[in-house]
Amino acid sequence: MSAPLYGLLAEFDRPEALRAAVRAAMAAGYTRLDAFSPFPLPDIGRDLGARPSALPWIALAAGLIGAAIQYATQYGLNVVAYPINVGGRPLNAWPAFIPATLIVAILWTGAATLLGMLLMLRLPRLHHPLFAVEGFERASEDRFFLLILAEDPRFELDGATAFLSGLGALAVREAPACE
Amino acid sequence: MTSLPSTFTSPVAEAPLRPRYGPVWRLALAICALLLILLALTLGASLALGVGLWGINIPFVWGFDLVNYAWWIGIANGASLFAAILVLRRHSLRTAVNRFAEAVALAAAVCAGLFPIVHLGRPWLFYWVFPYPATSEVWPQFRSTLTWDFWGILSHIVVIGLLWYVGLIPDFATLRDRARRPAAQRAYGLLALGWRNSVRHWSHHQAAYRLVAILVLPLLTMMQSIVALEFATTLVPAWHDTRLPLHFVATGLAQGLAMVLLVAMLLRWGLALERHIDDRDVDLLGRLVVASALASAFLSLEEIAAALLAEPSQWAATVNRITGPRRGAYMAAVVLGVLVPQLLWLRAARRSVIAATFVGASVSLGVWFDRFSIVVGGAERDYLPSLWRSYAPTLVESGLFIGTVGLFGALLLIFARFVPAVSLFESRHDEQEERT
Repeated sequence: MSAPLYGLLAEFDRPEALRAAVRAAMAAGYTRLDAFSPFPLPDIGRDLGARPSALPWIALAAGLIGAAIQYATQYGLNVVAYPINVGGRPLNAWPAFIPATLIVAILWTGAATLLGMLLMLRLPRLHHPLFAVEGFERASEDRFFLLILAEDPRFELDGATAFLSGLGALAVREAPACE
Repeated sequence: MTSLPSTFTSPVAEAPLRPRYGPVWRLALAICALLLILLALTLGASLALGVGLWGINIPFVWGFDLVNYAWWIGIANGASLFAAILVLRRHSLRTAVNRFAEAVALAAAVCAGLFPIVHLGRPWLFYWVFPYPATSEVWPQFRSTLTWDFWGILSHIVVIGLLWYVGLIPDFATLRDRARRPAAQRAYGLLALGWRNSVRHWSHHQAAYRLVAILVLPLLTMMQSIVALEFATTLVPAWHDTRLPLHFVATGLAQGLAMVLLVAMLLRWGLALERHIDDRDVDLLGRLVVASALASAFLSLEEIAAALLAEPSQWAATVNRITGPRRGAYMAAVVLGVLVPQLLWLRAARRSVIAATFVGASVSLGVWFDRFSIVVGGAERDYLPSLWRSYAPTLVESGLFIGTVGLFGALLLIFARFVPAVSLFESRHDEQEERT
């Protein structure tokens, strides 16, 4: 046994081949899987348990918090901290406070969407073991990859290599783990 | 690291990675740089000597400044509304024009943001509109519409920037993987944030992209309405009207679409992207411009009808806009913004680069004259006849405006140089679908 392994990477040239390979690997009992594709493949994402449905809730919560903070700031500063009488107009001028409240709510929602996405994907990161694998850069061009992680309870190098080769992969490569 | 295969998207992806760019690009950037120098000079003069250099005076407290601000915001809003609708409808056209619709929106929002800040008079104190805990314990007055501008522009630039950037993350990863020079690899690698093309990444990315696109819809109706409401909250007869937000949103949409058409044509010609922005795309864009110009036509009729029904002072102000000293601006708005785009009813005109470029420029200019007619022509007949005078911009004001055109052009040129002009991952997806 040489360097510790991050996982085993199989290369395919069509999305259908990747789709079949993912289903076969799941049927064979592998649970720690990931797949890579040059464009979105929502069905494979669902198969592998991607659940982006938390994102809208993060966004909604952030928007409500942002709106509350913005309105409370305007109210607190203009009614409590620094009240100015302008021609007898009400201090809590809610119609004038609404535009800023709504638009800042959108600002919070937008920021929370991006930050929430990055948080859920554990990004940004500067390096990843897969970037060291030769040919992996074609995942952003025209190739599709299936990864079985070494931490999978059923993972065993020779068996997994044979399994992936049997799926019709163009190549099966080892991804060494980083220190 | 052998050479990568040549695929459908290669020409687009290779464009930002080329170490040198063509002479046309450099010439265009040089022209924009000259205009940027003009911007620096006029901006510097306005900052150092104050807004007394401008032609503004009571009752024209805004003048050119607000005309240009509203105009740039219109471009930003029209372009981002278009981009967002394409993302939400998953339209095939979005692959082609979405990316630079977003870029047009972002660049225009940056140009727009400049004007209210300089107009403050003491722009270096602009942060006073932000409620920071100052030792003076003097807080911003939130009943003033000025604070709307601050929050509006801030949110607008950040959210439009997010829409653009979220869509770009996977494409930055593609550039990172294709780049050969270490500096380019490192720069695009940082921008890609460690994107690995995992299907999990894609699921979350698509959800986030659509979510930000949904956010853009209320954002820009609000942004344009805020600009219009700032007029409407005053007592000036021609402005004090609830129809103004609708007028600004609808004409702004026509203007943004026209600008996208213009930029699409120039990019298609400049970067040889005929395969990605094909005749059907341009045809569809042309139809959208005609449709929005029809809405503008309806609004310019409705404007007269609304003034007829309103009190006499508003009718007098509207008549002054149409027949008074600034009737030229009004006529230009109607001719350039409403009549010229009707040319695109003809299929041949929609297919022609020259006609599309001409109409795109014409609508943008027409809407500028519309804003000028409202801001200047509308304020000429207030309740006080002693204030019945007119306004003309000074050289400094004109220089500021032309300078921001240079800023807009420079931002778009830099964008076309360093970022894929067409979404790579969506093109790959379309190509795959065509093959199967």
